[in-house]
Amino acid sequence: MARVLVVDDEDEVREALVRRLSREGYEVTAADSAAAAREAIAAAGGFDVVVTDMSMERADSGLDVLRDAMAHDVFTEVIVLTAYGNVQNAVESMRRGAFDYLEKNVPGVDVFELLVIKVGQAMERRRAGVSTLRRLDLRTRPS
Amino acid sequence: MDLAGAQGADSGRCSGFVETLHELFADAVRCGATPDVLQRVLDAAMRSVNGTRAFLALVHRETAEMSVAYTAGEGWTEERRRLRLHLAQETNRGITGHVALTSKPYMTGDTASDPYYLAFFEDARSEIAVPVLGMTGHAAGVINVESDAPNAFTSDDCARLVAIAQAASVALGLDGFRARETALIEIGTSLNTTIETDALMRKVVDEAAEALKYEGCSVFLLDQETNRLVLRASHKALAEEVGVASYALGEGITGWVAEHGTPVRLEDPQKDPRWAGLHTEMPADEIGALLAVPIISRDRVIGVLRVVRSRSHSPWFSNRFTEADERVLTTIASQLGSALENAATFKRLVRAERMAAWGELSAKSAHMIGNRTFALKGDLNELRFLLESGGSADRSGELALIDSMERGIARLEEILREFRDFVMATQITLADADINQTLREVIGEFFPRRSSVQLELDLADDLPPVRCDAAKLKRAFSELVENAVSFQPEGGVLRVSTRLMAPEEQVGARLAPGRSYVEIEFADAGPGVSEELKNRIFLPFFTSRTKGMGLGLSIVKGIVDAHHGLLREVGEPGKGARFVIILPVRG
Repeated sequence: MARVLVVDDEDEVREALVRRLSREGYEVTAADSAAAAREAIAAAGGFDVVVTDMSMERADSGLDVLRDAMAHDVFTEVIVLTAYGNVQNAVESMRRGAFDYLEKNVPGVDVFELLVIKVGQAMERRRAGVSTLRRLDLRTRPS
Repeated sequence: MDLAGAQGADSGRCSGFVETLHELFADAVRCGATPDVLQRVLDAAMRSVNGTRAFLALVHRETAEMSVAYTAGEGWTEERRRLRLHLAQETNRGITGHVALTSKPYMTGDTASDPYYLAFFEDARSEIAVPVLGMTGHAAGVINVESDAPNAFTSDDCARLVAIAQAASVALGLDGFRARETALIEIGTSLNTTIETDALMRKVVDEAAEALKYEGCSVFLLDQETNRLVLRASHKALAEEVGVASYALGEGITGWVAEHGTPVRLEDPQKDPRWAGLHTEMPADEIGALLAVPIISRDRVIGVLRVVRSRSHSPWFSNRFTEADERVLTTIASQLGSALENAATFKRLVRAERMAAWGELSAKSAHMIGNRTFALKGDLNELRFLLESGGSADRSGELALIDSMERGIARLEEILREFRDFVMATQITLADADINQTLREVIGEFFPRRSSVQLELDLADDLPPVRCDAAKLKRAFSELVENAVSFQPEGGVLRVSTRLMAPEEQVGARLAPGRSYVEIEFADAGPGVSEELKNRIFLPFFTSRTKGMGLGLSIVKGIVDAHHGLLREVGEPGKGARFVIILPVRG
């Protein structure tokens, strides 16, 4: 089963995210800070997808989560959430290899459904990435 | 007159005269015009010229009357002491009145044929009267000595009395200077300690008029928007026009002073071409003298301080203002100018501090509102899913979501309330209030009825009414009460106490001397505040609770700041928090 880590310091937000992604059948783990996320990543041995808030302990805590997740597994796809259009940090996270970023408040859009779609796409890209690596691995391995 | 006899008598009168004079001057300088000093002056005057009877009459300039203030010798009755002389009358002023008006000594050895003599006593044959000169050179009083012998007094006697009268002059003059000094100090002190500008200006007009013998005093301040001089404080009839009466720049003498930044000092101001007579403390035609000086702040005229005196009742006395009066009023005006500037600076400072928080406040609130809304949308998303998929069996899922949404909306409202309270914290309306009563109301409304926290109230009985915004203080107090309760979930103590601060404590706390302060304390037995956090807890967005935006204590600080009070946390870390609020009693 695909494993997803949800990181957000707001209890209600974190619970809503966990609930929605669990409904999709993912195995969801929650963390309420970048520090807790780092521990969860180490404990779980990596995640397929990480959904993290940008602004927690610090305004750019999401970048820490991104770094920790990719340090553990370079194919982990990270989706960054921003509550208050902090585009600069979101762009920075893309530059550092995040899969996508998502604004929490888009008028008239059910961002939870959008997130489900993006997590699905992230999952595909991860699978593609991992299988590419395997094929490459098989070809280059001396027989 | 028998020369030898006179000389013999003189030598007797001379003995100790210099010593007596020396003592009288020393007393006058040391004590001023106390009843004791003036009585001794009069007794010495009578003795030094061998008179049978003497009195000291004082001049009342406002009514142009004289009244007997001190008496010596035989035969005085209450009725005679109550005698008054009307100086404005052409006749019956008596020798005393004549001396008061001319400010020159007068002597007669034959009262029966004297043109001025007015009989107080039937047996008086000789009379000698000398003026007691006031600061302005006018007679402030008259010393009058009589004798039942004809031709009893010599020119030497006159010289002695003039010397003795100077001791009374010195005493009265010093009193005048002291009154002026006291008034200036009073005004200076109130300017330093009264930050509410309207109260400050009322105080200036009251104290100036009372102590400096102005009959009417008004403060006009330039309104920046309309560019008109608006009456801000006044006396008598004009007091009711405060905030209404106004002059255009250049209009009337008051407007002229503001336009030119130069003082104007006039006798019979009605004759001046600039005179408009628009807004006067007394009927315009009764004003005999006017003095108006500009109030200057940062090299700009910001208003006019104006005093008036009524027309004199006597052609002998003038009610005009002197150069000394102008200097005093200019001093008061410059003090008032800097005090008003101080008040404006304080307001700007408080506003600037809060403005600096605005950027962060808007970012933070957008972030928090965004997150709450996002969570609410998550709940709605789930609710729709539940309903579309047939719903949960006992509807517990739907109900739980509704609960969650209600909590979410409550938190949004909490944020809005904090936002509003933060913005409004420094906008206060002052009125007298009973702080103890305010605290009791807060406890009644915000302290939980059933709580494991034990409440102790120790409210001082002698607390004076405090000039404050009771509604804002209630908000501040309730924050501290809720804080104490929420930090002691396992139970504890909340001790709320009030007391009037002792003057010596104020020095230590660097509070202005001469003002009274009340202290309000909220002490609990919770975790307290660590040393490193003590300075940060009052900053906006500091929070160790999940509730709200962390504006709570900064709202308390804003409210206390706006009251010109102090807010500190003085508890020992680990042993509970102690929030102390110190508020000035008179705002």
